[in-house]
Amino acid sequence: MLVIPRRISHQESRPREPNARKAAARIHRLHGEGIAVSEARGSIRLEGEAASYGEKVAAGWTAAGFGFKGVVNDIVVAGVAEERLESPAVSDGLLEGAYFDVVVIGGGVIGSAIARELSRWDLSIALLEKECDVAVHTSSRNDGMIHDGFAAKPGTKKAAYNVRGNRLWEPLCAELGVDFKRPGSLVLFRSPWSAALYPVLADRARRNGVDGWELWSRSRVAAEEPNVVADQHGGFFLPSAGVLSPYKATVALAESAMMNGVRVVLNSCVTGLDMDGGSIARVLTNRGACRAGVVVNAAGNWADVVAGMAGDRFFSLHQRRGTDAILDASTASSQRHILGMPDFLRMHSRTKGGGLVPTVEGNVLVGPTASESPGREDYATRPGELAELEKHIRINGELSMSQVITYFSGVRPCTYEEDFIVEKSDRVANLVHVAGIQSPGLASAPAIAEDAARMAVEIASGFTATRPRSGWRPDGPASPEPRRLSPDGRNALIERNPAYGRIVCRCEEVSEGEIVDAVRSSLPATSLDAIKRRTRAGMGRCHGGFCTPRVMEILARESGVPLWAVTKKGPGSELCVGPTKGARS
Amino acid sequence: MIRRVDTDVVVLGAGPAGLAAACAAIESGARVVVVEREERVGGILKQCVHDGFGVARYGLKLTGPEYALRDADRLASLGAVVMLEAFVSKAERTDGGCRLACVDRSGVVELTAGAVVLATGCRERTDRQVFIHGDRPAGIFAAGLAQYMINVQGLLPGRRALILGSGDIGLIMARRMTLEGMEVLGAHEIKSEPSGLSRNVRQCLDDYGIPLELSSTVTAVHGSRRVTGVTTARVDAAMRTIPGTERDIDCDTLILSVGLIPENEIARSLGVPIDTATKGPKVDQNMHTLAEGVFACGNAVHVNDLADYVSESGETAGRSAAAYAASRLKTGGRAPERRLTPLDAGPGFLYAVPQFVDLAAPRRGELAAFYFRSRATETDGAVVRMSAGGTALLERRYPALRPPEMERFELDTDAIAEAIAEGDTAMPSDRRITLEMGRRSAL
Repeated sequence: MLVIPRRISHQESRPREPNARKAAARIHRLHGEGIAVSEARGSIRLEGEAASYGEKVAAGWTAAGFGFKGVVNDIVVAGVAEERLESPAVSDGLLEGAYFDVVVIGGGVIGSAIARELSRWDLSIALLEKECDVAVHTSSRNDGMIHDGFAAKPGTKKAAYNVRGNRLWEPLCAELGVDFKRPGSLVLFRSPWSAALYPVLADRARRNGVDGWELWSRSRVAAEEPNVVADQHGGFFLPSAGVLSPYKATVALAESAMMNGVRVVLNSCVTGLDMDGGSIARVLTNRGACRAGVVVNAAGNWADVVAGMAGDRFFSLHQRRGTDAILDASTASSQRHILGMPDFLRMHSRTKGGGLVPTVEGNVLVGPTASESPGREDYATRPGELAELEKHIRINGELSMSQVITYFSGVRPCTYEEDFIVEKSDRVANLVHVAGIQSPGLASAPAIAEDAARMAVEIASGFTATRPRSGWRPDGPASPEPRRLSPDGRNALIERNPAYGRIVCRCEEVSEGEIVDAVRSSLPATSLDAIKRRTRAGMGRCHGGFCTPRVMEILARESGVPLWAVTKKGPGSELCVGPTKGARS
Repeated sequence: MIRRVDTDVVVLGAGPAGLAAACAAIESGARVVVVEREERVGGILKQCVHDGFGVARYGLKLTGPEYALRDADRLASLGAVVMLEAFVSKAERTDGGCRLACVDRSGVVELTAGAVVLATGCRERTDRQVFIHGDRPAGIFAAGLAQYMINVQGLLPGRRALILGSGDIGLIMARRMTLEGMEVLGAHEIKSEPSGLSRNVRQCLDDYGIPLELSSTVTAVHGSRRVTGVTTARVDAAMRTIPGTERDIDCDTLILSVGLIPENEIARSLGVPIDTATKGPKVDQNMHTLAEGVFACGNAVHVNDLADYVSESGETAGRSAAAYAASRLKTGGRAPERRLTPLDAGPGFLYAVPQFVDLAAPRRGELAAFYFRSRATETDGAVVRMSAGGTALLERRYPALRPPEMERFELDTDAIAEAIAEGDTAMPSDRRITLEMGRRSAL
């Protein structure tokens, strides 16, 4: 969380006059003569070969320190193939010839939040998502933390958006009917030395405009968190840190946008952008080409590729994988706050170090890790990552690795400047880039969405009348959660609809009625994972061992497909290959 | 309106343990309500279409459904109240026994009872709990889930399967999948010996030419949408993978048979102490847990390898729960006195059940059943001895003991009580019951 200057010598905060010659000299000195350095349209471009992905990324970081608009890193790594954006199998003319005032590319939390902000305006809006659901990638693969904003480097977009987003999430969740909790984050001091840094930490929190911070003594920490290891030296408490369910929030944002007229088109992948002079004329997809007044690039880990489609590739993204583990729900009562015990000497602007997060659902989440690793959608976990998480588990004496019920990886889309890009393109008249939204992107999402939507509306006002949509409603389509009702309320609900009385997932106490609601909703769940994201069915300690067949049956029945066609996460992920011999005859 | 039902005994779960418990409790004169989460009684037996059930109990080789039907018919003839598709959302102990909030399609039902029998069975350990790495494609199934798909839903989970683990369900599924036309590439067991019964290794793998790879495990799963293959590796004695032994195998299905865990979430909410070895409640010979009025049986207590023994513990729990509830009614709510004496199993044992013997009168010279598993495979004649108060009560020589195979013996509880009474009660060690293992009868 604290930036120790000597660790980031390659990333100086003082802006410089871009100087390609100086940059080249430094890059050659640190990363070898083989890397060609050039300046292209205000960005610095690297070409050549690197022995490893780590070396490629390191060269990019070095290049970021010279004040260029962006770093385009075209260094080739031996054995790492250039990744191509793969379209879903579906191919039809659904979008052919359609016109939208605004097309938002990408149905993550950023794209969904932007679509909802845009829906306040009387515009025709489409949200295009290549997967069969929203929140499939980074938005469902993170720790759900709404950071306080202390960790971001002062003066960056990250810092400003984080603090603003932190304030916006709570009222937004109230509107959407999504749970939000503010447990606060306790940064534990591992040594008297780190405790002595308090004035530095407080100064940084002040500069970032963080909402409150406190110094907690050793005994205060022990009183507030009795399970924390004895070997602590007090802590830095940030009361504004919150948690929410990132996928539920994303689904709710998308559904709220749909209720206000946004068209969410799933399974539609942008394959190209037709340019007409300095503007995007048509958006090409696997489902036909549509015309667009404004395009918002919220394509997550593919945002640089989408920028390239418009001839505006002024930045490259690199991928930082993170792995989180989720512990059994019985751990919920073992800690009250988000806990971390960072090694301040080893922290830098690229990772906050991870920790223990009490999730909004009542588990403890451990993580995330951070490692530069190629693969925009490489979610395979590695054995060493769990060992890394173990160090966090040791902070809380009640926790152990045997409580792990699952673990997963996500990929953060990062620019080499390690900051967000939220701006109108300076080359394409009708394009807004929202890129490099790594951590704390979830926390920042509502604030980023406000600004990105404003930029899109400014562009749209050049070709159409922009006025607020009448009858805009802030809420989401709330469906009941029987387990949270009083016994009388639950009983009354079941009397109205007995499906709410049939528990399908017993670990998480999810009823058939809730699964049916998810399948019948405006943004229908069409796969097991989509149902999991909306209802938590299959997320508990048995991890779908008992409820999978029942959820499959409900999904097949409600969506009118044969049982063996039910998928885990869209086409190609069918759970079964067909009926058995006996069932065929 | 929330329905309120008062009864003597509530049985949670209608698998073999719960069915036997409910029948025995009714036959002992109790009013019984059975709460079952599925649409039919019978538990996991419903999906066990293979035979071999009932040899100990009936002297017959029945299939799972046939075995379950016998108890289901018996229960129906006794006129038990069975709540199907019902779920316990809250459980708490009260002065009079326990109170449960149940949910079913009719609404919320509040059940109060003098005693509760936990017959909640067990669940399968998942791929994440054995720390398999890779993405999370479709095609990874716990063996019991694959069994449900094939035998109940009529669904073929894949075409080319590899099995991780050698638990009984995994072995049985190797045969079942082969018979359904799937190619089963082999079972990989991280331990140096199989986890399942020897007869299942012979009948389900050997007879079908399916290789069993011992000291071998799956280190990674490949594929992001559907499984495209796995990496296996050999492991050393400490179960660490041996570098250089990795092998990539093409398959579209990974079946996991890596252990079962007793389901004890309700037990925990009732404050029932859990044995770290069995992962189930600690019980006495009456299947009474250390929480007054809470009984437990079957795989919720410890994972059995035969349904017959599950039923046996269910009968005991049901009978005891009925007697307990009746006694409390008679004494105006006072719980019967218990005199619990711990059973200490030596280091040679994985565990022994029951963990306690209740020596309070009256016992009427009844026989108590004891179950144990050895910690390691003993093939050169192990001797097991049970003593109380320093007196040997039972000594038995076993030609072979294997951890996967549960052993059972019976002992008269009166004999235990007498041995303890005769011992020097000033010595705390003499008030214990011990189970020891050795090579010779002298121990």
